[in-house]
Amino acid sequence: MNPYEKLLLQNKAWSEEKLQMDKEFFNRLAHQQKPKFLWIGCSDSRVPANEITGTDPGEVFVHRNIANMVVHTDLNLLSVLQYAVEVLEVDHIIVCGHYGCGGIEAALGNKSFGLINKWLRNIKEVYKVYQAEIDGISNHQDRVNRLVELNVLEQCQDLIKTSIIQKSWQDRKSPEIHGWVYGLNNGLVNELTTIKPDIESIHPIFRYSEGQL
Amino acid sequence: MKNRISENLTSDFRSSLVVFLVALPLCLGIAIASGAPPMAGLIAGILGGVIVGGISKSAVSVSGPAAGLTVIVLDSISSLGTFPLFLGALVAAGIIQLLLGIGKAGVLGYYFPHAVIKGMLTAIGVILVLKQIPHAVGYDKDFLGDFAFNQADQHNTFSEIYYAFIYYSPGAIPIVLTALGLILFFERPSIKKNPYLGLVPGALWAVLSSIGINALYKIIQPSWVLDNEHLVIIPTLSSWRELPTLITFPDFGLIDTSNFWIVAVTLAVIGSIETLLSIEAGDKMDPYKRTTPANQELVAQGVGNTLSGLVGGLPITAVIVRTSANIESGARTKFSTILHGLLLLALVLTIPGLLNQIPLSGLAAVLLVVGYKLAKPSIFIKEFKKGWDQFLPFLVTVTSILLTDLLIGIGIGLVVGLFFVIKTNFHRSVLVTERNGNYLVKLQKDVSFLNKAPLIKELNQIPDGSNVVLNASMARFIDHDIQEVLNDFIASAESKNITLLIEGYSNYLNES
Repeated sequence: MNPYEKLLLQNKAWSEEKLQMDKEFFNRLAHQQKPKFLWIGCSDSRVPANEITGTDPGEVFVHRNIANMVVHTDLNLLSVLQYAVEVLEVDHIIVCGHYGCGGIEAALGNKSFGLINKWLRNIKEVYKVYQAEIDGISNHQDRVNRLVELNVLEQCQDLIKTSIIQKSWQDRKSPEIHGWVYGLNNGLVNELTTIKPDIESIHPIFRYSEGQL
Repeated sequence: MKNRISENLTSDFRSSLVVFLVALPLCLGIAIASGAPPMAGLIAGILGGVIVGGISKSAVSVSGPAAGLTVIVLDSISSLGTFPLFLGALVAAGIIQLLLGIGKAGVLGYYFPHAVIKGMLTAIGVILVLKQIPHAVGYDKDFLGDFAFNQADQHNTFSEIYYAFIYYSPGAIPIVLTALGLILFFERPSIKKNPYLGLVPGALWAVLSSIGINALYKIIQPSWVLDNEHLVIIPTLSSWRELPTLITFPDFGLIDTSNFWIVAVTLAVIGSIETLLSIEAGDKMDPYKRTTPANQELVAQGVGNTLSGLVGGLPITAVIVRTSANIESGARTKFSTILHGLLLLALVLTIPGLLNQIPLSGLAAVLLVVGYKLAKPSIFIKEFKKGWDQFLPFLVTVTSILLTDLLIGIGIGLVVGLFFVIKTNFHRSVLVTERNGNYLVKLQKDVSFLNKAPLIKELNQIPDGSNVVLNASMARFIDHDIQEVLNDFIASAESKNITLLIEGYSNYLNES
């Protein structure tokens, strides 16, 4: 049996298992989704959003890219963000990185990877902001992990710079932003920061004035 | 598994010889210990090999009279009155067993945990060694005694050994040492592989040597000669016409009494349990890892027992000692056990004289090695490494069997094993996690009353004022006892100031 056939087989088994648990499982989901969370995570295969949070289908709206980046010109993420915040009206956005992230590590080096260089440049810009702190760390792995953390914090800031978030904060005082880092070695999530809806959390130059949104 | 018939046959012939040698004294001893004529044991051995071996689908199991049933047989013969009346009940037992097999009752054997089966094997090994020590040093007062710790003759396993060292026969020592030496020598891999030396099992050389040494004593050291009760004793025939005297026919006179049926059912049930356990144990030991279909086995045993009852034999079960000897000596197919049955028949009829020269201490050497292999220290270590939930039931089974008897010991081991099953089952079916003062009680899968006690304990440990999520979405089945526990918890949440979020439970919750 080749691998993708195995996937199809497992899919069928999963579907049957869910129906055995609850006959209405798929009926309930098919009609509407009402997740409370938007997850912005890394594409790494070891960090599947639902599994590590023990959530079922329908509970988490997910966007994943390399190194869980919020890039203000990325149509992909912005579409997801707008839909989640304005249509689904999620109450929490989680930016989740993970220690030992390959994207972060690549950005710390000087290799050229082709197209992906353009994506990694965003991470290099983050490094530049915190260069002194990161260069001060002697162990390579610890350097990577610290940049993972600092990157998550930066991406949370990039989120609240968007007009989408600021408008939502104005209109419904929601969502809260959470910055997490997941440990591959123990499966546990480390909470870094929580940003409550408050314009004071945003650096002044990025704020939109009252009535502008 | 190689299918070359001639190669298999050679192996099987070799092993059948060893099994025959092991079976011979066991059949006789079990008969005597059961209060039956010695021939009854031999008949059971022959039928166990040929008939049961023939019908059964097991490749390596050997059946014959069982040491584990001696006390039951002894009691039954006395309660029914005579041996022929006992035989009547045995025929009925065989038919009941046959029906059990047809009715697919064989699955019951699978409910015995591995640790308990292993414990049974080890205990039997220890008992074998302990019981053979007296015979090894020539104290043959009580052949095999019985399998129980407390024997019918007021002695127990250890007092027999004590007496053995006082009343030993000097002639037995060189015999048993030589026999042991030969067996161990022929066990060495280099010898086993040798095309000539590997042909004949060491046990045979051991037996021949013991006959030889005993004969030698007559010439050089007459006071050391072993005779009478120190030798195997088989009835001899002076002519072929005497053959029918070896057979005893059953008496069905008591068929209308409850006693008769109690004996019949007891024999059928206990014999079946012993057989199923031995089959499972045998399958574990089989180097080719074949499995024996349990129901067919019960049918084979039923037929064997019915026939045994009809011609004056003892009850038959699959027997671990002979099965283990069978496997250890290289048996490949069921021809080994069938051949052993035929050998019993042939040699008993034709050369009883020679067999009656075998000193029991020589046979003791063979049995000592078999027993040691079942109970060697490395087995204890292996079970210990599997963790306490395997090792404790194993150890309890071994000790209980040694101190009581086979079935009581297994019963005790089973209870201990069950306790551990319940314990580990709880840990997998309910998961309680705490983080930042919040609690998640998750039912991972179906939860039954077995989990009630640990669940109550866990729920009571949740402090007042906590936030609790109770998630039962993975459990398809929650029985009433557990529903009660959960409902009580839900009802008490307010008074404990516990904020409760219930997920996936309303499906089962009939009252709100």
